[in-house]
Amino acid sequence: MKLPPYPMVEPDLSAPFDQHRATVLPEWIDWNGHMNVGFYVVAFDKATDTLANQFGCSWDYTREKIGMTFVIEAHVTYDREVKEGDPLRITSQILDHDAKRLHFIHCMYHGSEGYLAATNELMMMNIDYETRRSAPWPDWAMERLDKMAAAHKKLPVPAQAGRLIGIKRKK
Amino acid sequence: MLDSLPYELPELVTRAPLDTHRSTVLPEWVDWNGHMNVAFYVTAFDQASGAFMRNMGLGRRYVDGKLGMTFVLETHVTYDREMREGAPMRFSTQLLARDAKKVHLFHEMFHGEQGYLAATNETIVMNIDYATRRSAPWPAPVAVRLEELWQTHKDLLKPAKAGRVMGLSKK
Repeated sequence: MKLPPYPMVEPDLSAPFDQHRATVLPEWIDWNGHMNVGFYVVAFDKATDTLANQFGCSWDYTREKIGMTFVIEAHVTYDREVKEGDPLRITSQILDHDAKRLHFIHCMYHGSEGYLAATNELMMMNIDYETRRSAPWPDWAMERLDKMAAAHKKLPVPAQAGRLIGIKRKK
Repeated sequence: MLDSLPYELPELVTRAPLDTHRSTVLPEWVDWNGHMNVAFYVTAFDQASGAFMRNMGLGRRYVDGKLGMTFVLETHVTYDREMREGAPMRFSTQLLARDAKKVHLFHEMFHGEQGYLAATNETIVMNIDYATRRSAPWPAPVAVRLEELWQTHKDLLKPAKAGRVMGLSKK
């Protein structure tokens, strides 16, 4: 099996993956006095980096000019407000994957009060560094993804996954 | 419900779709992949939603006057093509549906010079009472403007990328 030219972190097969922690920064607050919609996605994207590090496709992967991961689609539900300085806990659950793509969902919780603040469902694609086009996951990533997906399979699919946006339409 | 707003409302633009919003990819929006980061597409789209709300009469004065706010409840993004630092952006916005408290919007982001579609964003925005921070009906003059806009938007075709549910299509 092909290994990356950098060390990989210890595999963590807890379900869901539950390592990412963050704090709401002052510059993430908007004129409504809460974390702005764009910065929820900043926070989620950092959780994506923590997850990608599990399968050896985070910063090292790009720094070594091997590949990149691009998000091709995202869905966010904003469930409750968070304020400046609030601690955040973000869990990640793999829903599906194939040779080039990974479908997963993050859940953001208030770190001390425990309530669900937001969810982010994502479709991510592996990209070849040279061509900037889609390419199959490297061996090392596929091996880890298979294991994580198997561990996450027992989890119920969150109600926020697979949502269709809409409001009840009046005549 | 607020019966009136204590400031002069801008002249209503009713073009279908709305096409007034312009922006530029800022240096701080670019990530280690050398392109606009996923989160800042959401920020850019949020500003397009802000432009929609200003047209409705709900700009900064609505918040500063402690009358109300608008919160995004849910958002769905398709990332269609990369955008680099300094790239000009042009947006078009279609009102897909509306009710007493919410609007369902569909934005498209185009490269301002090259014309290609860079991303789409489907989003639900809700009116919020300033004091209670809970949902509330649109102020009366806003409801009137929304109906006027709806008359020009209701017969537009539903965009192909609206109403998407995420998933891997299995071969």
